[in-house]
Amino acid sequence: MDLYEYQARELLQEEGIAVPKAIFAQNSHEVAQAAQEIGYPCMIKGQVKIGHRGQAGGIKMAKDLDSAILTSEQILPMSIHGHKCSGVLVAEAKNIIHEYYVSISLDRDSRDFDVLATAHGGTEVEDIAKSHPEAVKRLHISALEDFDITAATDMAKAIGFYHADVDQAAEILLKMWRVFTKNDATLVEINPLAKIGDPEDESSKSLSALDAKISLDDNAAFRHDGWKRFADPIRVDPFEQQAREHGLHYVHLNGQVGVIGNGAGLVMSSLDAVSGAGEQQGSEVKPANFLDIGGGASADVMSKSLSIVLSDPQVVSVLVNVYGGITSCKQVAEGIVLALNEIISPKPVVVRFDGNEAAEGLQILSQSGNPRIHVAKTMEEAAHTAARLAAQQSTTVSLAGREGL
Amino acid sequence: MSLFVENGAPVIVQGMTGHQGMTHTERMLKAGTHIVGGVNPRKAGTTVSFAQGREPSVDIPVYADCAAARQATGATASVIFVPPRFAKSAMLEAIDAGISLIVVITEGIPVFDTAYCVAKAAERGVRIIGPNCPGLMTLSDPEDAQSKGTNLGIIPDGIVGHGPLGLISKSGTLTYQLMGELSDIGFTACIGIGGDPIVGTTLLEALQTFNDDPHTKACVLIGEIGGDAEQQAALWAHEHMSKPIVAYIAGFTAPEGKQMGHAGAIVSGHRGTAQAKKETLESVGIRVGHTPGETANIMREVLKTQKLI
Repeated sequence: MDLYEYQARELLQEEGIAVPKAIFAQNSHEVAQAAQEIGYPCMIKGQVKIGHRGQAGGIKMAKDLDSAILTSEQILPMSIHGHKCSGVLVAEAKNIIHEYYVSISLDRDSRDFDVLATAHGGTEVEDIAKSHPEAVKRLHISALEDFDITAATDMAKAIGFYHADVDQAAEILLKMWRVFTKNDATLVEINPLAKIGDPEDESSKSLSALDAKISLDDNAAFRHDGWKRFADPIRVDPFEQQAREHGLHYVHLNGQVGVIGNGAGLVMSSLDAVSGAGEQQGSEVKPANFLDIGGGASADVMSKSLSIVLSDPQVVSVLVNVYGGITSCKQVAEGIVLALNEIISPKPVVVRFDGNEAAEGLQILSQSGNPRIHVAKTMEEAAHTAARLAAQQSTTVSLAGREGL
Repeated sequence: MSLFVENGAPVIVQGMTGHQGMTHTERMLKAGTHIVGGVNPRKAGTTVSFAQGREPSVDIPVYADCAAARQATGATASVIFVPPRFAKSAMLEAIDAGISLIVVITEGIPVFDTAYCVAKAAERGVRIIGPNCPGLMTLSDPEDAQSKGTNLGIIPDGIVGHGPLGLISKSGTLTYQLMGELSDIGFTACIGIGGDPIVGTTLLEALQTFNDDPHTKACVLIGEIGGDAEQQAALWAHEHMSKPIVAYIAGFTAPEGKQMGHAGAIVSGHRGTAQAKKETLESVGIRVGHTPGETANIMREVLKTQKLI
């Protein structure tokens, strides 16, 4: 799970990392209050879980109350790279002397933790790595070692912090490591970690986290009270919400074919097969969702899953692809029949069974005599049938629509 | 001959007395796995009877911990079914007890816990397979009286028989799918390495094992979005692998930034895409099928043209 900047700041503050004063606001009234409290000039920063906000116009400076309100009215309704703004952060504007980049992340390849840093902060690290590859330093923290202040000081020196900043940087690195471990994070990134203050007055200078990105490990939610405090303040996708309530893995996509299967790999493979079929048939039909019923799903779980997918107005046809390992195709078949008996819907459901109790499952489907159920022998055939039915159905609907005019 | 696990190795099951543990211990026994004990501190000293649908039933003793189980039975391998919150201590217990192969089926283990256990295992020379995987299955060679198949995990028995192929996969059901597609050819072993961001045995390490195995003639590699284990395996194979590989990658249609079921199946920015994996594999001459069916057909063709069957 990715956090918004305003949530990530909370975690940094809890470990004592300096951040500028800021208030999260969701409407212009709240923005006005926040700006008055923060003072001027202040930054109005759109809260989205995606990078390159600044370039997209999602971060602006306001010099007084009027411009703060005006700016927030521009940013609040924005969608940045397809992500809807959840609000704005009204933050103190700081005088930046220098910008560093520091992150700690999980390294899948070396199976430990990566510290990535550069003295050329401010922009996205991928861009820095392209323009100044030699300036990006990468160090590792082992999964077994303890990372302490001595190790952090050595690291701060190796990373290339300027001499005067090393002690403070080491403290921040250590605190970042604590944020990382205490919260089961997979990424803690501060960019920029800025040197702020009066350029003429040495004693006024300090390092401050002007922006932060944190990702948390969903698998660890059980030991953090489900991360209730990081719930999204804006409405999440209702289908994803419903699926989550039933403990199902679901991702909403843009196409017309609802896809249900057992096991993440097989479902991903089914999505690819539907897209491939759509391309081959020239209809450009695409999958509407990813839904994994998991291993050993009951008839009830299958029925709930199909109900969720059928209730999506975007879905025109459904593909159910099951290779029974632990999962029984019989249970899945019962679930399909159950859902189709409950929901009045013209949407066809294409089913492919293989493995555990496939024959029994197919028998249940054929006994139901439901004309909306189509059976396919292979997953390729199933994907082609589902894509073709979606394309036909879409044409019929649009023709009917035109005739209505 | 042994592939990942010694022939007929004595095996314990951590979490045997739970629902999943019971179901799969029964199935593993049926498949001929030499299960010698279960672990559950609250049920230590009892035995669990597995009927296997035939007489006599098998009574499996339950021990308080891995050390006691190992001392009593000489077990060298363990299969773990405990819930995520207990998985770290279960893995560490097995490592400390001197178990040399640990197969972790559990899905949903915090990645910090896995990272710690995998590092600990590496330090002690212990192999972990998984977590979040279907496990390992080796197939008995009918022509070799010494060879005995072992099923460690949840891969269904009876899909395939012995043959010249090795299979390595990040996904459970895709493993079964490809096994089914290539059941006419058969396998030496099938290993599901798991769909988490950090796993104990990587695609590359599994390939190395198959490369060293004299009975395996070719490998099926099933990858998916996330990380770049497939690219690393491809580059290694290009330099060192003497056997042909045919690959399948799932997740071409996966959107950026969305976790597709498996904790590790996520495209981050431009990293971890199926397209990038396919390109790297193909750049070193590894053919990649569009669908599982096509992948199986390519494998058959490769086996024929290289006169491996």
